[in-house]
Amino acid sequence: MRWQDDLQFYSMHFMPYVHLPPDQDTYDSLWVDFSNRHYDPKKGHELYQRYFREMVLADELGYDGLVVNEHHNTVYSMMPVCTAAAAALIPVTKRAKICVFGVPVNFVMPNRLAEEYAMLDVMSGGRLEIAFPLGTGMEYWSNSVVNPASARAKFRESVDIMIQAWTKEGPTSFDGEFYNYRYLNVWPRPYQQPYPRCYIVGTGSPETIAFAAERGWGYASVFVPIAQQVKTFRLMRELMAKHGHEMTPDKAMANTIVYVAETNEIAEKEAIEHIKYYFTVTARTTPRYLAPPGYISLDQFRIRAGSATKMHGGFDWDEMTKNWRVAVGTPERVAEKIAGWCEEADSSRVICHHHVGDMPHWKVVKNMTLFAEEVIPRLRPRSIPSPAVAGVPGA
Amino acid sequence: MATAAARPAKVPPGFERQEINVNGANVVLFVGGTGEPLLFLHGAGTVSGFNAVTSWAQKFSVYVPYHPGFGESPDSAAFTSINDYVLHYLDLLDHLALDKVHLVGLSLGGWIAATLAAQQSPRLKKLVLIGPAGLRVPAHPTLDIFGLKPEDVPAHLVEDPAVLAPHVPDPAGPDFLDFLVNDYHEMSSYARVAWERPYDPKLARWLHRINVPTLLLYGSRDRVTPVEQSKTWASLIPHADVKIVEGAGHLVLDESAEGPRAVLDFLS
Repeated sequence: MRWQDDLQFYSMHFMPYVHLPPDQDTYDSLWVDFSNRHYDPKKGHELYQRYFREMVLADELGYDGLVVNEHHNTVYSMMPVCTAAAAALIPVTKRAKICVFGVPVNFVMPNRLAEEYAMLDVMSGGRLEIAFPLGTGMEYWSNSVVNPASARAKFRESVDIMIQAWTKEGPTSFDGEFYNYRYLNVWPRPYQQPYPRCYIVGTGSPETIAFAAERGWGYASVFVPIAQQVKTFRLMRELMAKHGHEMTPDKAMANTIVYVAETNEIAEKEAIEHIKYYFTVTARTTPRYLAPPGYISLDQFRIRAGSATKMHGGFDWDEMTKNWRVAVGTPERVAEKIAGWCEEADSSRVICHHHVGDMPHWKVVKNMTLFAEEVIPRLRPRSIPSPAVAGVPGA
Repeated sequence: MATAAARPAKVPPGFERQEINVNGANVVLFVGGTGEPLLFLHGAGTVSGFNAVTSWAQKFSVYVPYHPGFGESPDSAAFTSINDYVLHYLDLLDHLALDKVHLVGLSLGGWIAATLAAQQSPRLKKLVLIGPAGLRVPAHPTLDIFGLKPEDVPAHLVEDPAVLAPHVPDPAGPDFLDFLVNDYHEMSSYARVAWERPYDPKLARWLHRINVPTLLLYGSRDRVTPVEQSKTWASLIPHADVKIVEGAGHLVLDESAEGPRAVLDFLS
């Protein structure tokens, strides 16, 4: 199937904590060791209420998926337990898939996570989608009872356990390097058989790409430069074939930041400060926290140490619009950019960050609504015919 | 042999560099001197090299291996605990056909040496533990090296940063990336055995089995394994002397001539 024929749009929320002290820029990292004395639970409560309203709106506007994920000890996200966020969304949404992208399984027991996901799938009547993250380097400092040097091996084994729990009638046993189960027998079983749609999520390291390709799963890229996302999907395509799977456009999830307004100027004026906040404030951390010992291979360490990335602390708008999946402007401009990216990466799944950084509620509502009503129809001509489609490359 | 990082070999003057395979573990080994065999086990970081051991080669046949996963020795997947290193060094003694040796261990190497000594005391003539890790001393805990920012590490290892300066390449120069990769490699290997805690909670229970003359050597300003820990070690090992080098830090062999000499005097 061509990407144009199966295009879906997911709305993702990080639910960041944004009420930071005026001297926040004096801290090297707003992850791991940034004191929780800066967290005001009453303000946090208000933010949760607002953020959940935004995700409910995304469902009402017809987005195909609502994406949540998990981070720890950080202002970046208020979802250290993202399955709780997913559970809260289920009864207040009707149509969208509930996408948990996801819990780093190394920080919980694999049978427990298999149960949690099965619960969400049954509760939602089969609306669950799952992505498996290894967890950022920062999470291994914040959850430092887990050894980063064995993280990848433990991760692989844990996913194997979960798949066994979902695919083999229980009870079964599992004899592994990290876990031994006598009675693997999860109740409930998943609503979707044999189990919900799964992706691997990551930054494009060869180890995680190979892991996804072996299983024939999709790859949900986190927010990394375009070239890195395209390279990831290209390698996926090669490796999938080797393992006897087919790489289809729905297995390539492109991660984007979008903002739509009446004119390009208005859009940039309204959006750039929040995108800058995301990169320079909420994502700010140190190289040490990004790569705890043993977390990445020496080859990967050499690459990362040798080339400082713009992510996690830096910001250059011109560079960003050129090299990152950031589309800010009129519906025409945003649609054109997205069509170009989907064509380039042969991707039919677009994750949109409608809320970015410290963006206020009204802008999120405006952005999300304009994107749903003015951008998506330009890219999905068959569902909602539009005369503007003719001018969109690849449509 | 494929090594993890392209680093220039740090062969101590007068020593020979060997590449050997010890029951599946590829290691690089420096050998020098003549006399009774002396096996030196290095610490978790090898940045300062091994020049301090050269004086021992005047009286001993000195063996200085890189642990698997450290320095020039590549990773061996099987090494995930201190006991794996202990058994590896028993393998190495067999490989080199060494019946009884003087065993000298620094920091992580001291932890391995003390554990080996508690299990296989008859393989040793004498034991030297230099600022050894591995013992839980709640009142004077071993520093969590993983908790330090990289820029703060040198000041915790040595009293005078000038001691380490010649071993750290210019951050703007061509060798610095190799230096960082080697450091990440060694910290990764150390994390495999010590991420959870830099000690073995059960070691104290078994140190009474060491029945060879033992020297505990410390710098008085050791900030990694505080000098106060020496009292606990000495109370648990039956025949232990304590030697403290005034003014030195954790890398007492590099920071003073007195450190290497104390080892030589004790073993002679």
